[in-house]
Amino acid sequence: MANATETKKVLDDSDITDLFEHRVSLDLTPENARFTRSGGGLISLEVTQPSGKVEFFERIVPIRAFPISSPETFIAIREPDSQMGGRGAEIGMIETLDIFPEEVSRMIRDELEHRYFTPAIQKIHSFREKFGYCYWDVTTTAGRVEFIMNNPGSNIRTLEDGRVFMYDIDGNCFTIENPAALDKHSYKKVEIYL
Amino acid sequence: MRLLFDLSPADKAAFEAASAGERILYCLPFDCRHDKRVDGRMVFTDKAIYKVIDAEVEARWDFSELSDFSVEVLYGCGAFFAKVNGNTTRLCRFISGRNLTRYSVIVEACNRITGGDTEHTVVSDAPERYCPKCGRPFIVNTHICPYCQSKRESYRKLWAMTKGLRLMMMVPLITAFIGMAITFVVPILQRTLIDDYIQNSNFDAKENWFLHFFLIVAAIVGFDMLSKVISMVQGRIAAVAGNRFTRFLRTLLFEKIQLLSMSSVQKKSTGDLMGRINNDVAVVQNFITNLLPTYFAQLLSFFLGLVLILSMSPVMSAFVFVPIPFVVWAIYLFRHMMRRLNIKQWMKGNRTNRTLQDILSGIRVVKAYGREEAAIEEFTDCTNQQAHQNEHTAKVFDTVFPLLGFALRFGSYLIMWYGNVMLFYGAMTVGELNQFNTYASIIYNPLMQITLIPRNISAFATSFGKILEILEEEPDVADARKPEHFKFKGDVSVQNVTFGYESATPVLRNVSVEVKAGEMIGIVGHSGCGKSTLINLIMRMYDPTDGVIEIDGVNIKDISQQSLRSQMGVVLQETHLFSGSVRDNIKYAKPYATDAEVIRAARAANAHDFIMRLPEGYNTIVGEKGYSLSGGERQRIAIARALIHDPSILILDEATAALDTETEKLIQDAIDKMTDNRTTFAIAHRLSTLRNADKILVIDHGRIAEFGTHKELLDQRGIYFKLVMAQTRAALEKG
Ligand SMILES: Nc1ncnc2c1ncn2[C@@H]1O[C@H](COP(=O)(O)OP(=O)(O)OP(=O)(O)O)[C@@H](O)[C@H]1O
Ligand SMILES: [Mg+2]
Repeated sequence: MANATETKKVLDDSDITDLFEHRVSLDLTPENARFTRSGGGLISLEVTQPSGKVEFFERIVPIRAFPISSPETFIAIREPDSQMGGRGAEIGMIETLDIFPEEVSRMIRDELEHRYFTPAIQKIHSFREKFGYCYWDVTTTAGRVEFIMNNPGSNIRTLEDGRVFMYDIDGNCFTIENPAALDKHSYKKVEIYL
Repeated sequence: MRLLFDLSPADKAAFEAASAGERILYCLPFDCRHDKRVDGRMVFTDKAIYKVIDAEVEARWDFSELSDFSVEVLYGCGAFFAKVNGNTTRLCRFISGRNLTRYSVIVEACNRITGGDTEHTVVSDAPERYCPKCGRPFIVNTHICPYCQSKRESYRKLWAMTKGLRLMMMVPLITAFIGMAITFVVPILQRTLIDDYIQNSNFDAKENWFLHFFLIVAAIVGFDMLSKVISMVQGRIAAVAGNRFTRFLRTLLFEKIQLLSMSSVQKKSTGDLMGRINNDVAVVQNFITNLLPTYFAQLLSFFLGLVLILSMSPVMSAFVFVPIPFVVWAIYLFRHMMRRLNIKQWMKGNRTNRTLQDILSGIRVVKAYGREEAAIEEFTDCTNQQAHQNEHTAKVFDTVFPLLGFALRFGSYLIMWYGNVMLFYGAMTVGELNQFNTYASIIYNPLMQITLIPRNISAFATSFGKILEILEEEPDVADARKPEHFKFKGDVSVQNVTFGYESATPVLRNVSVEVKAGEMIGIVGHSGCGKSTLINLIMRMYDPTDGVIEIDGVNIKDISQQSLRSQMGVVLQETHLFSGSVRDNIKYAKPYATDAEVIRAARAANAHDFIMRLPEGYNTIVGEKGYSLSGGERQRIAIARALIHDPSILILDEATAALDTETEKLIQDAIDKMTDNRTTFAIAHRLSTLRNADKILVIDHGRIAEFGTHKELLDQRGIYFKLVMAQTRAALEKG
């Protein structure tokens, strides 16, 4: 380890303050953030830092902080993870989309819809259990789907508000928005697991 | 893994119309668009990528305008990206679990094509995870499709497991047979007793009336005793067979779990595994050694009884069967309800167990935050729900089954009526009627049992499936065919290693390091950058996705795991001590170590002193997870454990993080003395820990950022320099 005086000297020489650039996550508002469609059909962002510095991101990724409990609030805006092989840093956070103009919030919501693919189950056609695996055949908002679940006890999760999340063997997620609203036959098939 | 899927004829026509006879290199499904699931294809030719769906080419990108391919894992889906003329574009989305790995391979393939190499297509030797027959996924790490697998195959395996127990399993059958013979003989004796003696007033007609009478009574009593003795013997043998089977299956399962790699064990929770070893084995055992023989015995007695009553009186036999259609119909109606009740009850029980395990193992945190009341409430809620469910189930079952039983026995009232009529006309004797009644009741028993069979079989099949799932799993980190055993010098060479826990998101990317025997390498980097992961790979807890790791020039995949681990000493980031004494814990890596060796290791780890201050010295029990020791004390015992078998390669993952600098220095000096010809990897956030390191390896976002001696790296003024500066500055500011 470098001895103390030597270190002091180095410290004085170099501008230590920006040794570790940590991006400070901003509260994004229509004033400091300008979202636009990128050339590739994704979202670009121009932010004005409090210092007045303006930064441009060719592509940003919106991510929900509470995708299950409150998907509409606290949306983080990040650089994509694939950027330069590293982890994307958070640029800022939007507490609620409503403060943005309609077209911006729609653009971001649209992008979120692409990211979180959780078809809602509308009808259960059949449910079979064989050797501990469950085979479901359902109609969802994304169309008719057959999926397989291992161990229904731990892969069906009922939330306090009554919504049901089901995870299949590949880790994909299906929801039932309101089990009581299902038709009788469908309801009977899931009822035991709720 | 399949990278060339078929195009439907319509899609194919569309593709051929749009492309000028280009050669298809790869063809992958994309099954997600907007908020719908679809069935489209991404076709990769040597010139371009085509997006084909519903007999239309929706988009075409020329490879000349594409660059920077990447795959992103989203939630419930994944996406394939590329830059089109410099603009990042989402080319398609797909359902994640299924196609993620395929697209990750395609990224590499596209890079090859844009690099001008269209000759060498990428081949993935990753195993196919989906059943070629039905497209449903295999059980993880196996080639078993639970859907297609014939039941016969599983039962054949089960049959193989009962080897050595079959004779014992026959015993209940044999004893049941004997027992039955007795039950059939006794009514005959009773009939003689009733008809010839009790009902016969003509006492003198027979000589030795009293002796005969006595003999018959004695025979009845004797047979009764015999049947009790037989059932006693049978009970004992069944218990032995049951226990042996349980022991056998549990050991088999446990051995297998020990052999499985980290990655597959990690996917299952401790509670789940415990459940399989305890409950599921018990269910299977009960079925195999108790229920199954009983069913056979019942079946046997049913047919015997049937033959007997038919031979006695076909008309009365018919009465026995009158209620059966109704009962079968009722069972059929109730079948779903019973199954539902059973599953519900099982789920509530399971939830209680999980909650209990979770709270008890985290009891310190519960107490630390004063959340005892919440914990009590949570648990009470679980047990209440369970109790209600159990009550409900019991109520239903206890109503339905007696009713069914009554219905089933309804035939016996008809028999009584008919029998009395026959008696009246003298067509039958009282003894005969009694005999018939007794036989009829023998038939009822198996009939009642049949109502329970579906329930038991479904419980058995579920449990057996869970057990097979583990037994069939092929360990993905397996020993080579002819593993090598040799004494390590300690050269470690990591070559172009890429690895990700989930293959799509690499944690380490293209890492290469050469370490000479005896060197001490310090590994630094921010939290989560992949330091422990690199160590895991060197220990071969996981196999790298790409690249090789060699020790003394031999690929570690070719070294026997036993030999590999026995020459490595590891102090993991999370120290785990087993409940047992300090001595047992230190000796863990070398069970036959002498006490002198234990003390030597403890001294080197600077643990000797505090151990001697414990009331029972080295024999002090450390309690579950070593909770009766301080964090630093636990760490020092873990260090002693790593040092005791004199490993050629020593791995210290934040091994001294919980220690003060003074103690740390003492340990370091001791280790230093011992590490002359030992390769050491030391991970540390506190850089002073690494003052003795020959070389420092800086990892940043899963890549090697810097590698060199302390001095070289300082001169580079890179990340390491910044880290040193920051820590020194912090120290100076404090001082
Ligand atoms: N078993 C696992 N399954 C999935 N991801 C994992 C697993 N273990 C670690 N990771 C992830 O891999 C990355 C690297 O983890 P690793 O443990 O190697 O970090 P590290 O450099 O040792 O960090 P630290 O200094 O905090 O110990 C992290 O992002 C972590 O979330
Ligand atoms: Mg770590």
